[in-house]
Amino acid sequence: MFAQTFGAATLGINGALIIVEVDISNGLPGLDIVGLPDTAVKESRERVRAAIKNTGFEFPVRRITVNLAPADMRKDGSGLDLPIAVGILAASGQIDPERCCRYVFISELSLEGKLREISGILPMAASIAEQEKCEVIVAPENAQEAVFAGNLIVYAPKTLEEVVLHLRGEKLLEQVSKECAPFSYCASTDDLSEVQGQVVAKRALEIAATGGHNILLVGPPGSGKTMLAKRLPSILPTMTEQEALEVTKIYSIAGLLKNNTGLVAVRPFRSPHHTISDSGMIGGGRIPRPGEVTLSHHGVLFLDELPEFPRQVLEVLRQPVEDGEVTISRVNASLSYPANFMLVAAMNPCFCGFLGDSNRECTCTVVDIRRYIKKISGPLLDRIDININVPRLEYSEFTANKVGETSAVVRQRVEAARERQRERLRKYGLFANSQMSHRHVKNTCLMTDEAQLLLEQAFEKMNLSARGYDRVLKVARSIADLAGEDRISASAIAEAIHLRNNVKDSAI
Amino acid sequence: MTNIALGDAGEKAVKDYLILNGYKVLATKYRTVTGEVDIIAKVKGTIVFIEVKTRSSNQYGSPAEAVTFSKQRKIIQTALSYLKQTAQVDAPVRFDVVEVWMDLNGGRVRLNHIINAFGER
Repeated sequence: MFAQTFGAATLGINGALIIVEVDISNGLPGLDIVGLPDTAVKESRERVRAAIKNTGFEFPVRRITVNLAPADMRKDGSGLDLPIAVGILAASGQIDPERCCRYVFISELSLEGKLREISGILPMAASIAEQEKCEVIVAPENAQEAVFAGNLIVYAPKTLEEVVLHLRGEKLLEQVSKECAPFSYCASTDDLSEVQGQVVAKRALEIAATGGHNILLVGPPGSGKTMLAKRLPSILPTMTEQEALEVTKIYSIAGLLKNNTGLVAVRPFRSPHHTISDSGMIGGGRIPRPGEVTLSHHGVLFLDELPEFPRQVLEVLRQPVEDGEVTISRVNASLSYPANFMLVAAMNPCFCGFLGDSNRECTCTVVDIRRYIKKISGPLLDRIDININVPRLEYSEFTANKVGETSAVVRQRVEAARERQRERLRKYGLFANSQMSHRHVKNTCLMTDEAQLLLEQAFEKMNLSARGYDRVLKVARSIADLAGEDRISASAIAEAIHLRNNVKDSAI
Repeated sequence: MTNIALGDAGEKAVKDYLILNGYKVLATKYRTVTGEVDIIAKVKGTIVFIEVKTRSSNQYGSPAEAVTFSKQRKIIQTALSYLKQTAQVDAPVRFDVVEVWMDLNGGRVRLNHIINAFGER
């Protein structure tokens, strides 16, 4: 006796439809699961057995073979419990096998026979929506997530019994409808106006947000670097529905979605501690799981105390920063995860933290300072366009009652500037100034004669490299976009030169 | 009463119980090099291999606990050779355990029949 049901599993950030074949034959009683199951899938044997028994159905005393196709893909996760259980019931004649084929079952089972939520529903449901299947049965906690995937009819029974009664046509389930608003932007709780003073740093953040430039904040302890960085997501353009869907998919797989909250509408802000391992940063594991760079996709990755990070961890950042995605190869699978994030790093200028401070003397020796700066890899610094000093505030500055601009006001300017970039860069398939290569810079960054002259002088005087030249131009382009200029003006160039990354040079 | 005699008495009691319940006993003490199956019976087309465990007290744990994984493997191996020998490899099969408690003084016997106690993992 044979039956076939459909389930789903995740592969990277995509879902895959899994065909679950169940055959029951005579012979030694037992349940075999084949088709590259992972440990969680192998253990489903005991869950399925108990769930069927405790729901009051008969677990056949026969030889049961379960095959998971496609057989060459490794299946992980516990979402295959339900299709296996339904398959066994169908193969043993307790449900009509014909009726099961319409549905895709995605849920874990408890020993009691209840449906449990699993992670990764959104990508699975999205891939199902692309195939011909259109009816899904998931646990109630996962229902809203499945609804979001698109044109699917979703059922969310509480128990295995309800599933069986539905399949027998005895008591039909009701279709789940969309509960939350389709997509709404929620402002993050931190606002830029809460930061006192630091006008220069705020301006630098605005420019960075405009062009999607990576930024390095250097300053003594307690000057507000972390506070500033935390507020960057609030001035970034609002996420489009497409972006929100991508982020939600990633969070779904990582199991970070709260119950039925709908799409993630706030740009992610990830701030890993500096003891993080390299696989924690870019993702890893036997079947690679997403790491911090992927979790900050379309958002901000903030590395506080940059020199404290192990060198290895900073080196592995190079590829994702450059390509906007990260490919992790392991024996079992080679997967690409998106990692299009803004890198924000913060560091002290030296060991004691007071190099360049106006009031306190720095106690580090020259050798100390060199060693401190040397901890950061040059190639990584090369990929950070903007470098800004965040000085300690004077007493009068942070007690002043002056309230700065709110994030919403800044965000409007940023969005307008992004729109200009999108127009200009559309033909190259880019959307932000930071993504431009040398060729794009040459074609799109037109300057006024005055600006040309200024840049030439700076190039000679400051020994800029070719890459440094491009970087200054890219940042200047963002500044000009903010000001609404078509040609880059001399003042934009001047400001860009001021913001250029020179940590290595300035360290004596 | 020796342990062997106790076991035999238990098996006798189980055999009577099975016949009373419509089982047809095919063999007792079926033995090969791999091990021994206490009772082989047939009910409703299913061949049932039965392990009988007899105890006079629970001092050393319940009888069923004594059917360990390695004992189960031995029974399965022996069952397979029985099926081969009698040319019914494709028949539906089941493994039961019957616990027997014997009161040595009063001669009272208590049975607990565990249907489908184990199978191949």
